[in-house]
Amino acid sequence: MTHVAGPVVRWGAGALAIAAAVVLGLCGFPRGTLAYTAAGDRLFPATAVLPQIAPGDEFYNWGWTVPLAGGPIGAPERASNFAAVYSKTITERLGITVKDTWMRIDRVGRSQLQGWTNFEAEIKYLAIDSQPHEFLLTLGLDREFATGAQRIGASPKGATEPRVYFGKGLGDLDIGYLRPLAVTGQAGYQFADAPPRGDRVNLGFVVEYSIPYLQSKVNSFELPEIIRGLTPMTEVSIGLPAGRSFGAPTTVMFSPGVSYAGEGWEFHLAALVPATRATAAGAGVIAQLHLSLDYLFPDTIGRPLFSER
Amino acid sequence: MFSPETTIIPRALRHLLIGAALLILSASVALAAPAGTVVGLNGACVVLSGGARNAAKLGQPVQVGDTVDVPADGKLKLRMTDGSVVSVASGTRMTIAAYGVDGAGQRQEAKLSLGQGLLRAVVAPVDRPASFEVSTAVGTAAARSTDWFVEASSNAMQVGVLSGSVAMTSAATQRAVVIPPRWGARLETGRDPVSPRVWSQAEFDAVTARTDVR
Repeated sequence: MTHVAGPVVRWGAGALAIAAAVVLGLCGFPRGTLAYTAAGDRLFPATAVLPQIAPGDEFYNWGWTVPLAGGPIGAPERASNFAAVYSKTITERLGITVKDTWMRIDRVGRSQLQGWTNFEAEIKYLAIDSQPHEFLLTLGLDREFATGAQRIGASPKGATEPRVYFGKGLGDLDIGYLRPLAVTGQAGYQFADAPPRGDRVNLGFVVEYSIPYLQSKVNSFELPEIIRGLTPMTEVSIGLPAGRSFGAPTTVMFSPGVSYAGEGWEFHLAALVPATRATAAGAGVIAQLHLSLDYLFPDTIGRPLFSER
Repeated sequence: MFSPETTIIPRALRHLLIGAALLILSASVALAAPAGTVVGLNGACVVLSGGARNAAKLGQPVQVGDTVDVPADGKLKLRMTDGSVVSVASGTRMTIAAYGVDGAGQRQEAKLSLGQGLLRAVVAPVDRPASFEVSTAVGTAAARSTDWFVEASSNAMQVGVLSGSVAMTSAATQRAVVIPPRWGARLETGRDPVSPRVWSQAEFDAVTARTDVR
């Protein structure tokens, strides 16, 4: 990555590539937009690494940390970040999301590096909402602006990514206690503005089992209060270089975790388990808190900008 | 002339009879207490009152204990004694289980029993806590001041809220959800309520049209 200058140069090319991969692999995935995306009686809870699938009114933030490979003096040995996201509906089906992330890189024998990653904005349109079949399809267009600090691996070039999101609950099938299962996912092609940044394909899917759905649609069991609000899930996120990669690696991350839903909020805790060396050197953790503004403030900031009601 | 011994028993019996009579009278007064008036009517709606089945008429009072039966081609609107307005959609059967107001016309209690069908309640505000409840076969929905819809069948109910908030409670599990404006939720027999979600404009338009009594 010849565009990098300043303190990052001292890391050496390998260390820089790792940091850039972390930023690409973990920050580069599109993020969730709301904690209550619904198709009929199916609610798709917020995910930690992959996105929710429809526009909404929400504020949320998360933090994660993963170990990196380390090595000689100056090599990055841990990456951590803290991010904030605000989503706003413009109409019932159209919304916009903005996101920024503060990142810290701990280095071997050197002081830490920190700074903001690239600012992102995305517009989303809910194209299909089939309540009987618990199916949603959303089209999105994400724009990453080159505002981030190169010292923490942010690309000096922006990118634009059209995306497709989907969600499908299995509640309409006659499969008994498997009805609380659902699958969500996303696919996108990220067009880089210019070299040395390459294009990427971003893919991901989630398999989840909703205890609230089990209790309300299948069978109500005498369960402890905390269990009633849980949705265990596993996320798989994949980033692939497309065309000329300019050294950008393939990243794959598994994120098994659990989401707890309260009234107007959700808390999510998940492990970050890298499947490739370029993603991270070991397992990390992510924690996320969602606030559903349209539940908490339904008459003010929680309603679409243009609404008949 | 009766001796004191002989008059004691009749006097006690008389008190007992008077007490029983008062009890029966008060009960009948409570059952016959005015609850509202028919202010909108489409189709051949029926009011069942005291075992009698009569065609509903505009301006007709309805009492506590009455049941309104709205046919498939009908609609009916009631203005209740506290100022609340209840619009009843076609194919609905609803009983006024309790309705009480104080001297100032403020609601003290309101309990409707929805056997099946759909109704819209625009609930009049009151100065103190006084809920407005609709019970169904599977649960209860309660609000203070709000504009909301409740629909019931033999095995499910759903609530949609336009303003205010409504608490929907499962009769079987006693679990409840609070439904804010623009949101709705469902409840099925013997289960917890489904988590609320945002209702679409089309969903509200549909239930509004079904309860729009001209």
